[in-house]
Amino acid sequence: MTAPGSTVAGSARAGSTAAGSTPSIELDTVSFAYPDGTRALSEVALRIEPGESVAIVGQNGSGKSTLVRHLNGLLRPTTGRVLLDGRDVRPIHVARLAGLVGLAFQNPDRQLFAGRVSAEVAFGPRNLGVRGPALEERVRVALEEVGLAAEASTNPYDLGYSRRKLLALASVLAMRTPVLVLDEPTTGQDARGVALVRDVVARAAGDGRTVIAISHDMRFVAESFRRVVVMREGRVVLDGPPEAVFGEAAWPELRAAYLEPPLPAIAGARLGLGATPTEAALVAALVAALVAGN
Amino acid sequence: MIQADEEALLPAYVRRIPAGGYRSLNPLTKLTLAAVSAIVAFGVRGWTGPAVVLVVVVSSALVAGVLRRMAPFALATLPLVASILLVNTFLYPNAHDVIAVFGPLSPTWTGATAALQATLRVVAFGLSAALFALTTPIDDLLGELERRRVGRRGSFVVGSALGAIPRTVERAREVVDAQRSRGMDTEGRLWRRFRGLVPLIGPVLFGALAEVEERTMALEARAFTAPGRRTILRSLPDSGWQRAARWLLLVGSIAAVVVSLAGAVKLP
Amino acid sequence: MSAETAASVGAAASGKAAARAGLVLTGVGYRYAGASAAALVSIDLRLEPGRVVGLVGANESGKSTLCLVVAGLAPGVIGGRLDGSVRVDGVETATMRPHELAQRCGLLFQNAATQLSNTTSTVFEEIAFGPCNLGLPAAEVVGRVWWALRTAGIEPLAPRDPARLSGGQAQLVALASVLALRPGYLVLDEPTSELDPAGTRLVAGALTRIARETGAGILVVEHKTDVLAQIADEVVVLERGAVVLSGPAAVTLADPRLVALGVEAPAAVRLERAVRASGIEWSAALAEAIE
Repeated sequence: MTAPGSTVAGSARAGSTAAGSTPSIELDTVSFAYPDGTRALSEVALRIEPGESVAIVGQNGSGKSTLVRHLNGLLRPTTGRVLLDGRDVRPIHVARLAGLVGLAFQNPDRQLFAGRVSAEVAFGPRNLGVRGPALEERVRVALEEVGLAAEASTNPYDLGYSRRKLLALASVLAMRTPVLVLDEPTTGQDARGVALVRDVVARAAGDGRTVIAISHDMRFVAESFRRVVVMREGRVVLDGPPEAVFGEAAWPELRAAYLEPPLPAIAGARLGLGATPTEAALVAALVAALVAGN
Repeated sequence: MIQADEEALLPAYVRRIPAGGYRSLNPLTKLTLAAVSAIVAFGVRGWTGPAVVLVVVVSSALVAGVLRRMAPFALATLPLVASILLVNTFLYPNAHDVIAVFGPLSPTWTGATAALQATLRVVAFGLSAALFALTTPIDDLLGELERRRVGRRGSFVVGSALGAIPRTVERAREVVDAQRSRGMDTEGRLWRRFRGLVPLIGPVLFGALAEVEERTMALEARAFTAPGRRTILRSLPDSGWQRAARWLLLVGSIAAVVVSLAGAVKLP
Repeated sequence: MSAETAASVGAAASGKAAARAGLVLTGVGYRYAGASAAALVSIDLRLEPGRVVGLVGANESGKSTLCLVVAGLAPGVIGGRLDGSVRVDGVETATMRPHELAQRCGLLFQNAATQLSNTTSTVFEEIAFGPCNLGLPAAEVVGRVWWALRTAGIEPLAPRDPARLSGGQAQLVALASVLALRPGYLVLDEPTSELDPAGTRLVAGALTRIARETGAGILVVEHKTDVLAQIADEVVVLERGAVVLSGPAAVTLADPRLVALGVEAPAAVRLERAVRASGIEWSAALAEAIE
């Protein structure tokens, strides 16, 4: 929680990412309609505690991207409020919220402009007021996290699409925001890229940061996140740990949202082993069943 | 040229034959009318030229049902009109019939008259361009031009450039969102700084350039560079009298300009 | 009218499958213009009519380059140097012009939006773009469009604005507009990577149907090996521009070397491995559960 007397915006520039300064996030009956009248969110009520790792899933058009754009102020609710640590963020500019909530976009080419990878990564933290050796340190660490340390002087467009995505991720990591939001971080990545993203999420969660990710990869979701929010037509239809959301009781709702549970969950249900959303859970349940059977 | 029975193969949403007295004119006819309006509005001396154009344009707009939608175009000419009125009324050379005395820059009747006439020309031209834009879908025009031997490349360049506009606007919006999310300040006085333009224009430009190779390949994969004439599926109605009218209007308008310049006939 | 014409066009297409020799790469190497290192090294590959071949490998292993070479766009459109031979039904692609290549082998990319011409207001006309470019008679163009719409499974989309489609729908429109040129082979470079699960299922289903109904030989690059497990007959693995592994899909996707090559095995394979690794005995019940 932020210290008494300091403002939410003030802590945006503080830069610390210890669990103590990670804010809670709340969407208080948020509805949003685009100027042309399309309803994108309908009375979404969601509360995310500091340090939670949450995956948001759903078909394209279900409101996932619209929702996360409310977290850093790019979009403002038509009705309802967005609260960080209990304070309405409406009066706070996007540029200032950027120090609290870092958003990595799905398409890296919408942000790349620098001639060198290192300059691209430095852009975000520099906007937050970081300079000199501290800035160099942040850039170096961020590039190492995504495996691009050797490409610091390369032109971003000389990298392939999947590595440009990792570069965009590094640009947000370098901002060291207490809340990290990732829009489709694993699409287009090969096995190594997915492993890197998984490690980034684990490390951020381990540091006490709140991590929120939109993803279509149910395996990544089940293995890396403690909470899954399923959206359909602008509403939250399921919200809970992977065991619950991918458990058999939730399958009709999942399928209505055009989603499939990951294979371990399906196998576990077929074998009558209860909720097994991940490989590890399924193996553990099998071992337990064998032991019990003996 | 696609035959009548082949025409019947096309679903209605592809044929898209416009209805209505003015709209159903062939796009080339509408284009000719716009061009002729421009020639007459600016080329014929005196009030008659622009007045005639204005009357024709407004009545055509009424027939086509777009009169109300022309309002924003009329408003768009306002800045130009305002400056014309000011400049001509106050600064017309060699005019001495002063309206009121304001020292060295006094408004004159000659100037005011000239200003009004110039305004009329600009408005007449603006409205005729608006009439054309509002009643002629771009792919109708490009299709007709291509049927008459404008090459597929030219037609494609114009068509895809126009199609690229909403896409580019959308992309620019996403770029602004992305950079704002990285702390770039676009609200407040910092917005004015020149350096702020690079992170905004860069991705739009580079993104568009990076796409060029893939777009080119996609075009090749759809046989865009095949030799010979491209098949034009849609054909819009044209007629002998329209063709004749187009020529007559063009020739007539140029003749009117020549005649009025030569001073042979005195019109108001 | 359209049903009959469409059916006859379809019959003509699948009739071709029996007589065709396949798309064959022999000893193919490729270097991009101005590049110092070769992107592809000594590739032998065979694409049979009616079969689906999956192409996997770590990023930057040459998969996209191989797609361009198979479709003839490299070196035909983008230049560069090609060694070895690429033959489509017995004819060298090096001798063909791009529009001739387009009618032999269609190519689709990841991003549907860049493949739309952006000059058409309906999906129908978008798909007609290719056949119109060839100068075909209008009746044939229309027949091909209906056939392509039906084969891709998107007939209801015909009147829609191509700019206002979902990702999966746009990819299917791009697929149909390439199909309209009636190529005997199709190459797709990560067609589902930007799509949601429903869109992925649509595209995967369309590919299976196309291979079966039109006899087209399909090469598809995918990271989602689960999709390949479903639709591919054969899988080829690339590493640093060379083929290091190939064989029937089920066998190749279960190969333990895939992990080291940067390719994730399908979920069923991974599950079986994890279960066996923990010492549990594999049984028929388990095999059925992960079907």
